[in-house]
Amino acid sequence: MYTWIWRHLPGPTAARTAQAFLLFLLVVALLFFVVFPFLEPYLPFDRVAQGAPPAAEGSSGQCPAWPVCDP
Amino acid sequence: MSTPTEEAPVRRRTGGDVARTVLRGIGQTLITLGVVVLLFVVYEVYVTDLFGEQKQAAATTAVDEVWASAEASATSTVVVDNPDQLVTDPRQRTPTYTPLGGEGFAKLRIPAFGADYVFTVVEGTNSDDLYIGPGHYDDTQLPGQQGNFAVAGHRVSKGSPFNDLGLLASCDAIVVETQDDWFVYRVLPMEEETATWAGTPRANCDGVAVQTGQYTGVFGREITVPSDYAQVLPVPHVNNTVVPEDAERLITLTTCHPQFSDAERMIIHGVLVKSYSKSAGFLPPELTEG
Repeated sequence: MYTWIWRHLPGPTAARTAQAFLLFLLVVALLFFVVFPFLEPYLPFDRVAQGAPPAAEGSSGQCPAWPVCDP
Repeated sequence: MSTPTEEAPVRRRTGGDVARTVLRGIGQTLITLGVVVLLFVVYEVYVTDLFGEQKQAAATTAVDEVWASAEASATSTVVVDNPDQLVTDPRQRTPTYTPLGGEGFAKLRIPAFGADYVFTVVEGTNSDDLYIGPGHYDDTQLPGQQGNFAVAGHRVSKGSPFNDLGLLASCDAIVVETQDDWFVYRVLPMEEETATWAGTPRANCDGVAVQTGQYTGVFGREITVPSDYAQVLPVPHVNNTVVPEDAERLITLTTCHPQFSDAERMIIHGVLVKSYSKSAGFLPPELTEG
């Protein structure tokens, strides 16, 4: 894949390097600002909304949910 | 150059080159996935801090506007610069505001962390609330009230409001500002200090004492398991949501422990030692303790 991209970038080596770097930054930005924020709620690293804990020790079940924070 | 070297690649392309291409493809995919996972760690630890700070700034602006309009509608007050004149009895103070989920209603300052340590506390502890800033457990009491004003906050990521809670010492001030009041809480004695508490002179410890009675075993800092939610109930460790008649006025801060892990919880307990009514230009003297 990377070889294919490299072969299709125009210009001399220096220009290709710069373009490849820009492409990398673009992908990183896409991950940081679109993909990761979208995925985060579905991943186990951000279990903040854990839901109410089991009603143990005769509690009324009204006890506040613990936020399980990350990482 | 010569014919044999030109023929060689042609021959390999039909055989081992396919396998090599496949292997290289797999290798590149694995490396790419590894880099993506590393980038996700960077995102969690650093990038979410940026997002969290933006949300926190928006919440602070919003609560400032609410307070400014409340102040403008109040009757004009005389400017008071003597803190003693503004000291209030917390029993006489009832909240004039209703916290709304996800919206700021108080500001939390910890002078020991520097004069710039101020966070707007929002109502609620779901993931969206805690992304904005420290969140008030919405079925615990409000600042200044009898019982427990319990606040959760992220230790790492999402603005990292509570990363330094482990550095708090007993008697450090935790100052909560609401629409009408300043409430000064102080961290309770640490477990290892209880034996020598009475005999040791300490600065800023007026109103802070080793806990007794139903509060026995409540210390300034506790490390506990995530399921120990009785920590945020009116009387910590007592599994009852009803506020007793003789309840103290506590603050409880909760965050993850150890750093970068959610295996345990760090709990900070403090007790209300003083309260002031708000006045234009007045800041509680406790804020300059640093």
